Formats: sequence, C-alpha cells, structure tokens
Amino acid sequence: MMKKISTLTLHNLNKAKGQYLSFGVFICLTAFIINIALVLAFQTFHAYDSLFDQLNTADINFIIPQIQDSNDLLTEVEEIDGVSVVEKHGGVFMPVTVREFAGSDFDMNTVFYNLDEERTLNLLTVTEPSGKSEASVSIPMYMKELGGFAEDGSITYSIDGKEHTYNIGGIVLEMQYGNYGTGMIGGYFPEAVYEDFAEEYSDHVIAEYSIKTARTVDLNEMKNAISEMLREKGSALLNINDRDTAKQTRTMVCTLLIVIFLALAAIILVVSIFLSNFRIRSAIEGELAQMGVLKAVGYTSNLIIASTIMPYMLVGVVSTITGIALSYAVLPAVAGILAIQSGFSYTPAFDIMAMLIVILTLSCAILLFSYLSAGRIHRLEPINAIRGITGDESAGQNILLFIVSFGIMVLLSFAGTLLYNVNVKPDNFMNTLSEELPSVIFTTEDEKMTELKALLANDSCVKLVLEYASVPVSYEDGSLTAFVCEDFTKTTNDICYEGKSPAKENEIAVGNAISDGYPIGSEIELTVGDQSADYMVTGYIQSVNNAGAVCQLTSEGYEKIGDAANSVNVYLYDKNADVFIKEYEENHDAIIKSSVNFEQMSENGRIMYTGIVSVIVMILFVISVLMVLLVLYVIINSMISRRRQEFGIYKAIGYTNRQLTVKTALAFIPVVAMASIISVIAGLWYLPVMNNIIFSLIGAVKNHFEVAVWILIIFAMMLTAVAFVISVLLSAPIKKITAYSLLNV
Amino acid sequence: MSKQTVISARHLKKAFGKGENVQVIYADLNIDIYKGDFTVIMGSSGAGKSTLMYSLSGMDKPDGGEINFDGTYITKLNNDKLAVFRRKECGFVFQQIYLIDKMNLMDNVITAGVLTSKDREDIKNRAKELFSLVNIPEKTWRKTSSQISGGEAQRAGIVRAVINSPNVLFADEPTGALNSANSGAVLDVFTSLHQKGQSIVMVTHDKKSALRGNRIIYIKDGKIYGECDLGKFEQDDTERTEKLDRFIKEMGW
Repeated sequence: MMKKISTLTLHNLNKAKGQYLSFGVFICLTAFIINIALVLAFQTFHAYDSLFDQLNTADINFIIPQIQDSNDLLTEVEEIDGVSVVEKHGGVFMPVTVREFAGSDFDMNTVFYNLDEERTLNLLTVTEPSGKSEASVSIPMYMKELGGFAEDGSITYSIDGKEHTYNIGGIVLEMQYGNYGTGMIGGYFPEAVYEDFAEEYSDHVIAEYSIKTARTVDLNEMKNAISEMLREKGSALLNINDRDTAKQTRTMVCTLLIVIFLALAAIILVVSIFLSNFRIRSAIEGELAQMGVLKAVGYTSNLIIASTIMPYMLVGVVSTITGIALSYAVLPAVAGILAIQSGFSYTPAFDIMAMLIVILTLSCAILLFSYLSAGRIHRLEPINAIRGITGDESAGQNILLFIVSFGIMVLLSFAGTLLYNVNVKPDNFMNTLSEELPSVIFTTEDEKMTELKALLANDSCVKLVLEYASVPVSYEDGSLTAFVCEDFTKTTNDICYEGKSPAKENEIAVGNAISDGYPIGSEIELTVGDQSADYMVTGYIQSVNNAGAVCQLTSEGYEKIGDAANSVNVYLYDKNADVFIKEYEENHDAIIKSSVNFEQMSENGRIMYTGIVSVIVMILFVISVLMVLLVLYVIINSMISRRRQEFGIYKAIGYTNRQLTVKTALAFIPVVAMASIISVIAGLWYLPVMNNIIFSLIGAVKNHFEVAVWILIIFAMMLTAVAFVISVLLSAPIKKITAYSLLNV
Repeated sequence: MSKQTVISARHLKKAFGKGENVQVIYADLNIDIYKGDFTVIMGSSGAGKSTLMYSLSGMDKPDGGEINFDGTYITKLNNDKLAVFRRKECGFVFQQIYLIDKMNLMDNVITAGVLTSKDREDIKNRAKELFSLVNIPEKTWRKTSSQISGGEAQRAGIVRAVINSPNVLFADEPTGALNSANSGAVLDVFTSLHQKGQSIVMVTHDKKSALRGNRIIYIKDGKIYGECDLGKFEQDDTERTEKLDRFIKEMGW
C-alpha cells in the first residue's frame, strides 16, 4: 500500500507546504504544552519526594518551648505507635520582620537553627555557599527565589524593634519548611553566631522534635496524639507540621499550572483538528476532478484517503517530536518559576513515558479526525467528481472561523479573569485559596479576651473584631483543623460551598476531604483530650491549605470539648497593620500575648501568585495571537487560491488591490466579532464552571472569582482588531493576482 | 470470423433527477463492444453518450440492467471492487485531460502504474516506451501539465491511460479542448494504439475523430439509433468520409 501511495503522498506534501507548515506549528505547540504539563506532573512530585527522602526529612516536626522540654518527653514520643526515629534539635523561634523581602517588609514566624549541629533527620544542604562565614545566616531557597535575596548580599531581621543584619552565608536546600505556606520558615546560623543569638533571645529558645514514621501511619492521627500528649503534660505546642500538608502547599501552583497547560493544549488540539478538517475538506473541494481521475484509474477510496491522511500523519509526528524537543528547552525555566512558590528546584530530565503519551495521543487524534474528515472521499462517485459534483455542503469556512474565534476567546476570557482576580481584585484569589483574611491576629490570655475585644471594638480604625481560632480536633478517622468562630455570619470569606456554616453549638460544617462520609444532616463525633461531643453536619467547607481536612465550629460548640479560643481576628479600615500592631504592642503590652501581621502575609502571597499568574497570562496571550495568525493564514490562503478567478474578475472591472485586501479582511470580521461576543455572553456561564473545575482540583471547591464583563469585552474587541490587522497582512498575496488569472484557470 | 465480445450490456436504465424533474437518459438499452474494435459513440448533446461510456467502464452505475465486462458482471461490484477492476481493465482519456497538477508527466504515469506493478523501474521503462510512441521527448517528462501544450498533455494522458495495458481504452471527447494540429497528433496516437490491437471506445461529436473508428454507434432518444461499419482507417480515404457523412445525415445529425 505504501508503494502505491508514496508518490501521491509526496505530491500532496509538496503541493501545500504552507498549509502543512501551519498545521505542523499547531501540533508542535500542542505537543510542546502537553509535554511540559506531563513532565511537570511526572517529575515535580517525584522530585519532591526524592529530595524529601534524600534529605531524610522528618514526617512530622513539632516545636515546644525549651523550658517545657524534658527527657521523658523524648522517650514518650519514641513510644508512640508508628514512630520510627525521633531527633531533637535546639532552635530560636520568634516572629520576625524580614526587611526588603520582595521589596517590602514581611513578618515571618522564623526558626533559627545551628547550621553546624549534627543531624540525621531534616538534613540541610547549603547549595550555594557565599564563602562568608562570619556574621552570616544561610537562608532557604524560597527567600532567594521570592524574597530576592542573593547569596552575595545581606539580610536584615527586625526583632522586637532591633535590627539584625547578616551576610548571607548561602542558600539552603531543605524540605522541612520550603515556603511560607506552612506558616514557618527557617534561618541557619553558623555555630558561633547561633550561640550569641540564642543567648540574646533565650526566652525564645525552643526544642524541636523531628519524627520519622512508618509510611502507613496516618499523620493526622499522630499529630493528634502528640497534641494530646503535650496538652496532658501542660506543654505549649508552638507549631506542628507534617509531610502531606507541606507537600500540598508547596506543589499547589505546580498542580494549577499542569491543569491550565492541559486545558490549553486541549483547546489548541481542538483548533488544529478543526483546521486540518477544514484543510482536508477544502482540498477535496479544490481537487475534486483529480480525485475523480484517481478513482477512474483504479485508486480505491481507501488509497486516496490514505494518501490524503499520510501527509498529516507525517507532519504531525515530526511536529510532535519537535514540540517535545523544544519543551525541554523551556522546562528548566518553568521549573525555575515553580521554585518561586515551591521553594525547591530540580532539573527536569527527559521523560520517555511523557514522550510516548504525547506522540500516541496526538497521532491517534490526527489519524482519527483526519480520517473522519477525509471520509467523504468514500462517497465521491468518480464521474460526479470529474464533473465537479460533490453532493456535499461546502467546507464551512465561517463555521470553522466561528469555532476557532470562540475557542480563542474562551482562552482569553480565562486569562483575563485570572488576571483580574489576581491583580485587580486580589482578595477574590486569596479568599479562594485561604480561609479568613484579617488584617491582624492578636492572641491573648483567656481571661483577657473580653477586655481585648472591648478595646478593639472602640477603636475607630477597626472595622470588625471576631473571635477566631484554628485548633486541632479528632474524629473517628483521624484529625481535623477546626475553625472556631463566635459568629460565622460575620466572617469576610465564606468558605462554605454547600449547606451553611454552623450557627448553634451542636452544629458543624465539615471540609471537602471528609464530606463524602458525612452527608448534611448526619452526625459526627469530635474529641479533644477526653472530651467528646456529637455535632450535626449543616454544610461543607473548603480549605486548600489543610487539604480539606477541616471543620467549622461555633465558639460555644467548641467549648463543649475544649478550652475557649484565645485569638481574635482584627479587620482594619485603612490603617496600616504594621503601625496598628506596633501601637497596640506598645500601649497594651499586658493584654497582647502575640500578634501576626496577616495583611503583610497576604500581600506577600499575592506578590508570589501575581508573578506566576502574569507569566501564565502572558503565555496564553502569545498563544492566542499565534492561533489567530495561523488559523487566518490557513483560511485566507485556501480562500485566495479557491477564488483566484473571482479576484481576477474584480481586478478586470476596476477594483484596486487595497479595496480587495480590505474587502477580504472585512469579510472575516463579522464572524470573529460575533463569535467573540457570544463567547463573552456564554462566558458568564462557562467561566465560573471552568474556574470551579480547575480550582476544585486543588481543593477549592468554591471559588470567589468575579467575571468582569468589561475586561471580556475589551479582549473581544482586541481579538477582533488583531484578526482584522492579521487578515489585511495575510491578504497581501491578492496583489499578485492579475486580471489575466481568470483566463488561466 | 465472428468478433469476440468484450463488453455486453443488457436492459440498461439511467435517469437523472427526481419526481417531476426526472430526465430519462436511456430506458432499455442493449449494446455490445467487440475486442479489437475502435468503437465511436456519437449523438447530439445530452443524448447520453458519455453517460453510456462511463456506465460501460464501471465509472458510473446504471440504475438498472447488467453489464458483463469480459466475464465480470461489473454492475454487481461495489465502488472499491470497481476501482480495482478499472485499474486492470480500463484506461481513461478525458476531454479536460486532468493530469495531476504540480506533478510531472512521468510521476503522473507512475501514479497509475504502481497500482498494478510493484516494479517501479519496470513501470518507468514502459512509460518511456509509451512516451516515445506518443512523441513526447525526454526533456518534457519532468515537466508539469502547466509547462506543456494541450496536445502534449493529452498525449501524456493517453500514456497514463494505457500504462497498465487496459483491456479497453475509453476516451471522452479527447480532442474537445485541443486545436486542430494537436487534435491530429492525439488522434494519430489513438490510431496507432488501435493498430496494435488496443480496443477503444471513444465518445465524440467531431467527425474527424469519428473517422478514426471502425464502428460508429449513434445514440438517440435513449436507444442505439443506428450503427455503421466504417472499416479499417486509412488517411485521406474519401470513401470512408462519405460513408460517415451519409450515416450521420441519416441519423439526423
């Protein structure tokens, strides 16, 4: 068969090089994007786990004040069921303000360690030593990537109003904290510097327990057991983190990026399939007589179809391989962008599985759809074909243009909505990923809560004061983080995506991680220490940071099993949170136990996401323009060759090149404009659905994105204008058609 | 000696259109084509000459009746079987020539040749012989149809039609798009092929072309209205010319 069609196949390839080139560019782009997504999917999580194992990172770390530590505790922790290894380190834990972190001050809960202390768990690798050992601090990669601190620079920590400036000793690769998504970050001093620092801040010296567990252990249950044990001993649990939540927060952007890339690739693939369909149908129209002759001389329909499909397959496979190869040129840069959020870097390696999947997927898609497009050749009667009778409708150029414009507008609308909700309305984005976003969180002693609330309530700068705390609780299958609030109707971020938040003491809303097992109306038993109570499920809530293992309880509800919460969320009107905290810490020192500048934390998170989203949106824009260019190239090119005679006639009766070029370009505009506007209108429905699907993959079942119609309309107008300009440029070959052409067909 | 029938068609029916717009081309047509004959089908425009020829060659299916092509009932074959049948049994020459554009003459011929032979060199050698037979010089073999004259293109079309040594060569107005000089050259090729024993069926309304045939069939009102045996072709044979003139006049031409 190959021998029979080789001449025809080569002829077809040679005849329409430009058309196959544009098809090839589309497939190349699709393969490029799918391969990036697959390599990231296959290697990022694997690289994370490998580095985690390589640095022998603990599965659970918890911190208690050193003065509350004892040797008994170490023994007791070792005896917890499922614990394999426990290691204890010293450290200094305190909230600090990092000066000039990504251009602004950033309050971070920081644990300072002795870099020279021997470790078997949570190994530290100083990957980029600066050579400065004196008065230096080594910082995590996250501080370098997002904070902008270079290994040859310095860093200033402001602690209790005192500035500490250190040379940066190097960049540390570690897997315990990685990024600030865990709410903690590390700093690593040489031994001499650490000793001085620990002496100066002896009140903040802590004991950190790092635990390696058996792989089968439920980390939530173990965290719960540790919390319980510490509570019984009267030790304050300053922080506890685990492998799973750290991984989820650190790879969240990667997951999002993979989903976006796959969605993008799907759209481009659909467009290229429509394009090849259009191209094949145009070819059948234009070469009807030749196909009739081929049938006459004895070519079967299958042979003709094979010779029509084969160039697409050849171009498809070559373009796919090219796209895959090109993707490896940018993958290190993409991995670098991800490192900004994940706080760890790796070099993507060649992935044969990803390559095979991309080649197989695209080849099968091209084969299937080009066969379906060429299928009408079966119905072509040779004598009718020679006489120019197809018996079918025309190639449907406007339908293709409509579908492609609609698809591109979907892409632009998604990009625009993302941009709007991250840059213009960042609260929408942050509310989707987070829980409450107060300006400040104050912690106080239980008995001073009423006094603190009264004080804040009378402050004209304060918009709202809300008792709000995150506390661990247990249920039948493990542990949950409970958001305890005096009144959920006053919260500013409604994370309840089905049903309602609890209003009574016996009500509860549970997270999406356990929602399947607890239908609304059912009961769930929660335990804290030796106190248990039953609660009725009233709704479902989401939490990206806690992987959905959360619940909401009213303050009264929680007090049935635990002590009253002792922290308040403070929401300010316009006042700077930093100034506000300083004033309160200076004037009400006796009431304020600790404070967190949540506004600054949110802002830093937003800066990080804005950078990444801007890159994604830029990629989407470039791809959209490229798609418009290629689609119009294919359509205009085949239209010019089909209507050569008609253009010759127009020229013969006196039309100028300019008139014909503009006339041709304008002919596409109503379709593009109509598709764009319909896409904008439909976007009001599909964009929330699309956003819901994408964000639900990272645990945000309900997203707070707004669809800004004005942005979509601007994009629709831009798309139409770009389409017109490109059409004018692509219609230039009309100039080469002479009036004589009409005689020469 | 009786002639050997190569195509035998019985009770052929063919109509175009539906309902009130139906146009019956032929309702009950019987015809035999003999081996070694140069059969010319004539008739007025719209009489169904080409339709009949394409039915006989398996290019078009009649609405009824049956066609026995050298022992094969082609009316019973599906489209793909018909294609395979045509590649071995039929060659086609069209009025508009229909060489594959942007493909050179040699490749046009090879495209047909590879359907019956796996030996590409063998096909090329045979193509070269045929190009010589139809007087197309070697320098033209690598040219495309747009780079040569209509006469050369039609002669190349004939080479493509006979590359697989078809049982019957079918030609539909082969000189219809050519000037007088080119027409003569093309008709000489047909005569030459016929003299070598090639069975030919040609549709034409051109008297000069018809003179090349030995058997003239006239189609009228969907039937074979008349038939004339012209005998062997000789250049400047006035007796044959007069005989054809008388025949077509009788037919109401």
